[in-house]
Amino acid sequence: MSSASSGSVLLAMSVPSFWHCGRTIRKYSLFTILCCLPAAAMAVWNWGLPALRVMSLSIAACVVAEALCEKIMGRQIEVDDFTAVYAGLIFAFLLPADAPWWLVILGAVICVTLGKMAFGGLGANPVSTPLVGWAVLAVSFPILMDPNAVQLSTDFVDPLVRLKFFGAAGADAIPLLDLIMGKQINGLGAGQALGLFVGGSFLCATGTVRWQISLGFFLGVAALAAFFHMSDPAHNASAFFHLCTGSVMLGGFFMATEMGTTPLRPLPMFLYGLTGGLLVMIIRKYGVWIDGVPFAILLSNMLTPYLDMIRPRPFGGSRS
Amino acid sequence: MKELFQVINDPRFHLLYGVTQRFSPGPQPDRVRLNRENCKLADGVTKKALVYPYKLLAEHSSPLKGDVFSPIYGKISEVSQSSIFIDAIEPDEDLRQAAETVQKTDLLSAPQRGEELRPLLKSLGLNTKSLGQHCDTLIINGLNPDPGVTWAEPMLLAHQETLRDGLALLRRLSPAKRILLAVPKEMRLHHSDIEVAHVPSQYPASVNALVIKAVTGQENPEGVGIVGLHNVWSLGRVARTCLPLVESVVTIGNCEYSGNYIVKDGSLIGQLLEFSHITLHNGDTLVRGGPLRGESLEKLDRSVTRGSTGVFVVEAGTIPPMKGHSPCVNCGACVLICPARLSPSILSRNAEFALHERNLDEHIGSCLECGLCGYVCIARRPVLQYIRLSKFKLAEAAAARGKALAADEALGMIAADNAEASAEAGTNNRAAREQRGGN
Repeated sequence: MSSASSGSVLLAMSVPSFWHCGRTIRKYSLFTILCCLPAAAMAVWNWGLPALRVMSLSIAACVVAEALCEKIMGRQIEVDDFTAVYAGLIFAFLLPADAPWWLVILGAVICVTLGKMAFGGLGANPVSTPLVGWAVLAVSFPILMDPNAVQLSTDFVDPLVRLKFFGAAGADAIPLLDLIMGKQINGLGAGQALGLFVGGSFLCATGTVRWQISLGFFLGVAALAAFFHMSDPAHNASAFFHLCTGSVMLGGFFMATEMGTTPLRPLPMFLYGLTGGLLVMIIRKYGVWIDGVPFAILLSNMLTPYLDMIRPRPFGGSRS
Repeated sequence: MKELFQVINDPRFHLLYGVTQRFSPGPQPDRVRLNRENCKLADGVTKKALVYPYKLLAEHSSPLKGDVFSPIYGKISEVSQSSIFIDAIEPDEDLRQAAETVQKTDLLSAPQRGEELRPLLKSLGLNTKSLGQHCDTLIINGLNPDPGVTWAEPMLLAHQETLRDGLALLRRLSPAKRILLAVPKEMRLHHSDIEVAHVPSQYPASVNALVIKAVTGQENPEGVGIVGLHNVWSLGRVARTCLPLVESVVTIGNCEYSGNYIVKDGSLIGQLLEFSHITLHNGDTLVRGGPLRGESLEKLDRSVTRGSTGVFVVEAGTIPPMKGHSPCVNCGACVLICPARLSPSILSRNAEFALHERNLDEHIGSCLECGLCGYVCIARRPVLQYIRLSKFKLAEAAAARGKALAADEALGMIAADNAEASAEAGTNNRAAREQRGGN
């Protein structure tokens, strides 16, 4: 009998499948964070160090809050999967670059506790983690959360405010290139349309997030915006304007696609995205919220269980 | 659309590997371990008895399962409840002479047809259970069963003579009017004596139910049977050697190397790995069967069993490790990949919390057990294992219910609440009579 079969080797017992695609939660988060970097870099370029300050603070607060939660819940500390970093970064993208430090920390802690850990952790939350923190703050501190009211020392303008109060002519006066390059008053990362588009397209192309959701979302926004624009060009801006303003780019690629809050099959995913996109335009046109994306996504998150009921016939069986 | 966006980006899943080399003979075993579960030992099979190749060791109690034969010259070292162990020895003159007495059976000139052929095949060590009874159309699944298993192509291309004889036997055995051979669509194969159907070649296309669907266009159609290519090869092997079946073809491989060997039944896996120069390190996983559907073994003196498609070593560090506790994160990768259009995420969560009955509503019976859900799971959950657990528990519960029902019937008690279980007309009539009597 050989030495190999004499029992000197300790074999690892496992269960099928013994091969794996190599994707893990940690790789997923690292990849999504990587795809946020173009927008983060543009944010620093456009807003300077304050943007970096908010992002770092938010990420740090999220990671610490998650670690503490896991400690209190008696769980294994799993902040090394980087999902808290990602949530913190996306939350920071929604904040004005000049947001006070306590606001950032408060919001980040609410994100992680109420938006994630209260439901049992990653993937168990019914609605998007960063948006929970955003929603609580936006309702509690509307002035501090309004980039147009906080960003005083800038030459940029808030395109959606222009549209709301000065009509389509005011909105059209803003060069489209400025919108694409993030030269607009907005959440510090939400306005970096080009960076978000590059990163988000990459996420979709690699299958990290589901392209059906993003496609549905952007189609919803663009279709309804185009419809409004055609019906009344004096009061409604073009579809392209709407795609590049507010947090549409951030929402469609990064927030609506958040793991665990979306339907899981292709058609429900598309319908979910489409609903979100349509809601964005409805809120923008008829609601009091100037952006509309966060609440649109929160609402369509709530639809997920119902959309998940649309399911195909199982193999060789009947639907029943 | 589905094919375009959900193809797994792993070249190993393309079940055509360009391997056409004829099978090499495996090692001459030093020791074999043969499964004897549900078998009746033959006369003289006791500890320390001397055996020679093709000597009958045990008869299987099922008429559809082949008998067990010794693959080597040796001495029986142990007979346990489940296994017979034989240590190889150098045969002396007596043993050699005994070995000469093994009768050859020329199957191809045997007169039996159909059901009559089965006992003869059983006595030659062949399983006839999955050789296509009760079907009009019989499909031979000519794809590599699992990714990483590479013997199907050389079997089709380089061992045609064996297959042809196997096919001749299959025609005599099976009642099917039409027999087809399903091969990967890229494969150029022209058999004059069998209809060839080209089917997709990306795993999970080799799962039996999906091959049937690819050939017939229907899901689980009536009257269609399927038989593995290896079974046809086994038939052909016996037909050509005229001796009982004591070997099978396996792929032995790790991440760098793989080869196809004709190995003796019961060969110990440690010896096979050593023979194919695969060294094991601490933390490696040893897999018997395919890398997606097989089972992991804890020690090297387990043996190759009938039906094992391969022996694989998955090196530590080549795949992300499985953690003990890993809740589902609802990413939906398994739902998108599932060829049976199920929700493995829900199935596995129900199983995790022992809510097996709920899995019936989730159509757990449609699961094809292809193993892709575990392959794509980013939380490294043992999804297929959970599903198998649930299936097992449900079968157990159903069996217990069946037993309880039978006991009730025997006692003449008909519980009022088993109305839905009483599908039998007799029970219904009796209940109806009682009701009328009561009124």
